[in-house]
Amino acid sequence: MMKTLVSFVSAIILSVSFSAFSKTKVTWSMESNADRDPIFLEKLQNAYNSAQDKYELEIQFEPNETRIESLRTSMLAGMGPDIVETPGPSYVKEYQEAGMLENLDSYAAEFGWKDKLIPWAYSSGVFDGSLYAIPKTHESMVMLYNKTLFEENGWKVPTTLEELEDVAGKIKAKGMDVYTYGSSGWQPTHEHLVGIYLNNYAGPQAVYEAITGEREWTDPVFVEALELLKKHMVDEGWWSGSLENYYAIGWDDFHAQFATRGAAMMTIGTWTFQATSLGIGQSGDEWGWAPLPSLSSNSGGPNFMIAIGTTMSVNAAAKNKDGAIDVLNWIMSNKDVVIDIASDFQFGEFVVPLLLDDSDIPSTISPQVTSYLNEYARITGEGNYGYCTWTFWPAEPGVHIWKDMEVVWAGDISVEDFMYDHQKMWDKARKKNETLPVPLRD
Amino acid sequence: MNFLSKKSYIAWYFVIPVVFIHLFVIGIPSILSLALCLTDWSGLGKINYVGFENFIELFDDRYFKKAIFHNILWTIIFLTVPVCIALMCAYLLTGIKRGQMFYRLAFFFPYMLASVVNCQIWKYLFHPIHGLGGFFESIGIEALASSPFTTKETSLYAAAFVDGWHFWGFLVVIYLTGMYQVDNHLYEAADIEGASKFQKFRYITLPMIRPIFIFSLMIIIIWSVPVFDYVYILTGGGPAYSSEVVANYLYTHAFVRFNVGYASAVGTLMFIYVIFIVGIFGLLRKLGWEI
Repeated sequence: MMKTLVSFVSAIILSVSFSAFSKTKVTWSMESNADRDPIFLEKLQNAYNSAQDKYELEIQFEPNETRIESLRTSMLAGMGPDIVETPGPSYVKEYQEAGMLENLDSYAAEFGWKDKLIPWAYSSGVFDGSLYAIPKTHESMVMLYNKTLFEENGWKVPTTLEELEDVAGKIKAKGMDVYTYGSSGWQPTHEHLVGIYLNNYAGPQAVYEAITGEREWTDPVFVEALELLKKHMVDEGWWSGSLENYYAIGWDDFHAQFATRGAAMMTIGTWTFQATSLGIGQSGDEWGWAPLPSLSSNSGGPNFMIAIGTTMSVNAAAKNKDGAIDVLNWIMSNKDVVIDIASDFQFGEFVVPLLLDDSDIPSTISPQVTSYLNEYARITGEGNYGYCTWTFWPAEPGVHIWKDMEVVWAGDISVEDFMYDHQKMWDKARKKNETLPVPLRD
Repeated sequence: MNFLSKKSYIAWYFVIPVVFIHLFVIGIPSILSLALCLTDWSGLGKINYVGFENFIELFDDRYFKKAIFHNILWTIIFLTVPVCIALMCAYLLTGIKRGQMFYRLAFFFPYMLASVVNCQIWKYLFHPIHGLGGFFESIGIEALASSPFTTKETSLYAAAFVDGWHFWGFLVVIYLTGMYQVDNHLYEAADIEGASKFQKFRYITLPMIRPIFIFSLMIIIIWSVPVFDYVYILTGGGPAYSSEVVANYLYTHAFVRFNVGYASAVGTLMFIYVIFIVGIFGLLRKLGWEI
């Protein structure tokens, strides 16, 4: 009896040990965030590891400030994680050109990835005709407003430039800032505003033509767009009261300002949904969202700017290429997992661009976010989408658009000169084949 | 084999590990960087030789010129303000018998803190929402209502102020060390002659600490070339390049714009400049200057 028991226990131990040790490790270097990391560990890493016996996913978190550099160094050394996470297509392009990423065409065909993803998002990972990256999250820019405040004062949510300027005057008269926003801690914040004005003044069609080289960035319609931004930013001090304050305040500050009625509105990306819900939720006010107002007749009505926040690729020198592919395929084949994680962030993070239905949106999501998701799907589905700079601008013009915008705001150069320099950078990028994939317009 | 065990070589053996580390950490990357300045390398992928194209572009780059000007300005500020304050305080401290340690510690304390801590303190002090901006505005000092770090006209000076605030305590300590080595008999003789405190400083202290003083000027000139952390944390070189310095410009090109070749050209010029400065000091020493 004893002998049988020992044999039985040994068999169990052996089988457990075998399964534990037979799993091969898949590594993923991911941007760290104190709030998000536990969710990714539980609902992505542990869930994947429990779902199969072949691979052991190990997510290594590191802040992006250092991760981008350490990733580049390790990739150069022919090492690096199996799954390569980058902050956007311009980074993918650099790695792809250097031959450091795996061509995913055969896997995409085998597992039908193209049919699972939103078409424009899929094409954002196609470089030189082949798939190299899958978006880990996609996003857009919106205008948030304090709904309670607007209702109390009888203000109308602006949809045009005239309405915007009218309500801005009323907000300022109440001693509040029109918008709250700031670039402290993340200087590229400027590009959010530049993108808004380009797409909502010049219009997405004009931006598309400039990205594809059919139109010059020196076109008067772009110059006028950025002149208007300069007027609102510098002369009117719409963002946080003044240009100096806009430069001085950061993420926590502008959320606090919004929650405490320091400002009535906020121009921001959809990644803010969770922070906004939590912040203003404590104040007792209700928040609302709206598409960014049309700033001229060129804009062609409301549109949502499309953007890829983060991408996932497979390292060409991966130690466990099959494992990395399996993880990506598991994500794309498990809509429920993606929705569950995205729900924890109010669809502000890990919004893998899978094709979803209305019925996929869980009831735990705030009504504002649910209505945004429906509107986003409807409007972009009609082809009314614009282009975020961090997804469709090549590396050097992509830095110029935010870094040198400060020079324009400082009055050191004119908008015309700025756009002349910008066009030169695009010409250079085009010559060096550094332009990024852009979805065709209908 | 016998020559390897010669006594005069023993010191060399002990130095070898350090030389070895320096070779790998500084020597080889420096040589590679010098080579990369003639390429258009993005930091990844193919490296194409472009000759002196980066340098030609650099000499035509208005923001690089602006950064150089700011570095010169930075050097002048550091050669004057912290040096004068430190000399004065060190000299005054030599006359304090009780509680001198407290002052020394208080002056030196910012130097012991990490740059990021110092920067956050000052950034917070001038924060438009939580900082003193509101207070200054309420008492009518409009100039300080906005953060000086985000105002184009003041950003460079504000960053230099914070860096100087952390640095001058270090100068106090080294000047004080020099001053304590001055023979006391000289001061006694001066006292008998009826010399004033300023005259003793001008004619005894300053000449006697000259080697330390010149050394401090040399390190200020050299350290002002790669100045980076305070500018990067406080202003990021902005707004509108108003506080841009060469090292931050190099960093942006290398790690944000993917222009490693161009950044290497900037680094090469910085290297040449430092060699030039060190060479001048070496030459002066050879000419018999007491430095």
